Formats: sequence, structure tokens, C-alpha cells
Amino acid sequence: MTRHTPLLEVTAVDYDYGSVAVLNDITTTFEEGTVTALIGPNGSGKTTLLRVLAGLLEPTDGSVRYRDANATRRIGYLPQQPAFRPGFTVLETLQFYSSLVGAGETDARTRLEQVGLGDAAERPVEALSGGMTRLVGIAQATIGDPPIIVLDEPASGLDPGMSKHVFEIATELADAGTAVLLSSHDLELVDRTAHDVLILDDGQIVRHGQPAAIRAELGVGSLRAVYEDSIAAEEGTVRVQGVSS
Amino acid sequence: MEHESAQSASERSPSTSHRLGTVIDRELRTVARTRTFYLLTAALTAVVIGITWIGGGYAAGYLPTAVDLLTPLELLVPIVAVAFGYRAILADEQRGELDVLETYPISPREFVFGVYVGRAAGLVVAISVPLLLAVVAVAITDSDMLSIYATHTGADSPLLFARFFVLTLLFGLVVLAIALAISSLVSTTRSALGLSIVALVVLLVGFDLALVYGLTEGVVGDESLLHSLAVSPLSAYRGLVLETVVTVASGTGPRVASPVASILGLAAWTAGSLAVAVWSVSR
Repeated sequence: MTRHTPLLEVTAVDYDYGSVAVLNDITTTFEEGTVTALIGPNGSGKTTLLRVLAGLLEPTDGSVRYRDANATRRIGYLPQQPAFRPGFTVLETLQFYSSLVGAGETDARTRLEQVGLGDAAERPVEALSGGMTRLVGIAQATIGDPPIIVLDEPASGLDPGMSKHVFEIATELADAGTAVLLSSHDLELVDRTAHDVLILDDGQIVRHGQPAAIRAELGVGSLRAVYEDSIAAEEGTVRVQGVSS
Repeated sequence: MEHESAQSASERSPSTSHRLGTVIDRELRTVARTRTFYLLTAALTAVVIGITWIGGGYAAGYLPTAVDLLTPLELLVPIVAVAFGYRAILADEQRGELDVLETYPISPREFVFGVYVGRAAGLVVAISVPLLLAVVAVAITDSDMLSIYATHTGADSPLLFARFFVLTLLFGLVVLAIALAISSLVSTTRSALGLSIVALVVLLVGFDLALVYGLTEGVVGDESLLHSLAVSPLSAYRGLVLETVVTVASGTGPRVASPVASILGLAAWTAGSLAVAVWSVSR
């Protein structure tokens, strides 16, 4: 795979919630045209890192540098639990966001079609299933064609077919030149889809690279094996950051 | 610690007025689609018409109607205004939409101002409907059938009611700004309700009591009382109504407020509250 210019450079980023260090010395880059999957156990700092990358949290230390700021919208963002103002249809909701970047109804409809929700345009957002709400959230994240799109667990709670569809969308976005950063617990889909994998454990990056390269390095056959080899906590336990064990 | 970009502004971004219009449109639709706001308007209308009817103001004229309505509206307008604003920003925060909006080219100032204008439009309708119905009732049933449309000492006039009407709207808009500030500061609906009730008590009772206490303790002097009233939005509103509506018509009596100080007080509360909301949203 051809490597491109990094769109996002993260240098020595720390993030503390009060006295609890959640991210510790994170340094990495994210390139255009790639899907980077962030994996790690619950409480490892994935969401915090994604929020720092999206510019929603100011790092306690270190820097996040964006290389391409010519876009109307620099970063697209899907929160972990997307929700929308009730009383509006799906189309009206996306039209609102499209309007903020100077686009209109046509753009909103295109985004909906892109995630396969064209038929739900006139449905009230409060009448959507969890999976459909997440797809609307993904459509929202693409509005304004941001060069970087951050998706926090975009496949969470979706059926296998829908999860696959979400990862296909991520791949299509990357094919169009977008740097897609997503977190996921679906390691098989990540293994099949992601160009890069970043394994986070206890607020630190423990592995970063192409899935095949990491597998080869560790001499294992699957990303799940890589994950189990890389994560310090015992399976079935949640490591609570700030508490040493 | 930094978030940097090589080029911060985008030439393709829509104009400020476009972004504001987008947020205002969303708020207007929200207000138009929320049944609670219709119920509030209907309730306020029933109370205003009821007071106008029971007080006999509809037959006595515009000024007696305004005087009859002053005290009830001092209580009801803040309640309605708080209802329009106390969840306006909080609800977006709770859904995570404020985070999403942060990734769009819209500033916290534009967002807060757009929300305020949109909600204000709804509030203006909610206050205007009952007051306009009251003035129509007076116009139809007034026994004197006034034909004087200039305000001068000793004469009743629709213009006096118009002043009361405008001042009541202004009072409502000030309280709405305070409600938006509360909405931006809290993180749960329960705390929004709690803080709103506290704000209403402070607004409706606390400031007046503080002024009375200050007066009795000598902290507030007799000569500065007229200006000190401007510190409280409620006292400023009441003072403005008495000074520019009631006293004008009666033609006699001591000054009850400083109109300039009262207007400045209301403006400061509005600007200060919106500034707090902008600061809170940008945190």
C-alpha cells in the first residue's frame, strides 16, 4: 500500500482526568486514504484518544497537528452514542448539519444514500433503531467532506451485516482519500478491513502497524491473537486506570 | 499543549449570517413542534384574559388593564421564559450534539446567539398572543372608546399599553437569556430544573429582599435607591412600567425608578447571561 502524507500528527500526547492519567505519551500519525482501527480493552483510553484527535479534548500535554485545514470542516466525528434532536426527520437533521457547511438538501440526501438510509429520509429520528441512528451519525460525520473522520465504535450494537456495511463505508471513504479513524471490538472485521491497527492498553500504544505486518512480527495467525498477546490485563477483567495492580 | 493547523480558516465556509440562520431555523422548528410551548401560551392567555375580565380592566381602559396585569406577569413571564430556555442548550449537550457541532464551522457565540434568537421568537409569540388579545378586548369593550393615540398626562391611551407590552417582552427576553445561561452550565435536567427554580426565587424575591435589607441597613441610600433597583431584572421591569406607563398617565407622584439605569440593568443581565452561555459552551 502506498503511504501518503500524514494528515494528523500526534506528538507525546498525555491526557489526565484530574489525577488519573488516561493517555500517556501517545505519538503517532494518521495518513490520508487509510482506515486506522483503534482497538483495546474497555477503559484503555480509546474514546479519550478519539476525542483528543477530534479536537474535543485539549491534551494535558503534547500536541495534535492537523496538516490539511483547507476543508470547510476539518474533522468529522461520530460519538459513541449518537443521538439527534427529536421532532425532526432524518433528512431535516442532516440538512441542518449540511447547511452549516454551506450545502443543502441534495447533499443531505446523498449522505443518506451513501449509508443506505435513503428510504428512511422522512422518518422521525426518534423512530429509528439504534443501528439506523448510528448510520445517520456516520452520514453526519461525512458532511463537509472532512479529510479526517473519527468514528467511535461505529459498529457497536449492529448486526453482522450492518457492521460489515459500516466497515465498507469506512473503506469507501478511505478510497476517496479520507483518513478514517475508528474504534471497534470486532477484531475480525478490523483484521479484514483496516489498513492500520493501533492497539491501546492502559493509555499507551502497545502496537501500531498494518495487521499483516503485526501478525507476522508476532508469528500469530489472527488479530485476536495479536490482541491477546498485546494486552496486559487478564481476559474478563477491566483495568481501571490510576489503580495499580 | 496545543491543537494546531497550518491554515485555520476556510474560504468555503458559509457566512456567519447563514450559520446563524441555520441555528435559528432549527430552534424555530423545535418551538413550533413542541406542544408544551402551545400549552404555556394557552395557559398564559387564559390567565391574562381572565385577569382582564375579572379585574374589569377591559371596560375601564388600557392603563387599568396594564396595572391589573403587572403583578401577575411579574411572576408568570419569568416562568414561561424559563420553560422556553432551561433545556435549550442542555438537551444538545446531553445528546452529544454539542460535541458534534464543535467539529462544524460554527462558533459557540454563533450557536448561543442563534439558539437565543430562535427561542426568543417563540417566547415573543407566547407573550404577545395573550397581551394582544387583552388589548383587543379592551379596544372592543372600552366604555370610553378612546380616540386619543398620544400619551399625555391624565389620559388613557393604547400607547401606554403598547409600552407595557414592549417592556413585558423585554423582561421575558432578559429572563430567557438567564435561562439559557443556566441551561449551558448544568449537566442534567434535574439540576437544570433545580437551578431554574433557585434563579426564579432569587429573581422574583431574592433581589427585592436584598434591596430592602440594603435600604434598612443603610447599605443602599435613599438617593441611590432608584438606580439600585436596576440591579434586579424584576425591579427594573416594574420600575420601568411604573415610570413610563403608570406615572405618565397619573401625572403626579414621586419618581419610582431610573429608566436609563433600568434599561442598562436589563441589557447587562441579557449580555452577561449570554456571555456566560458562550463561555460555558466553549469550555
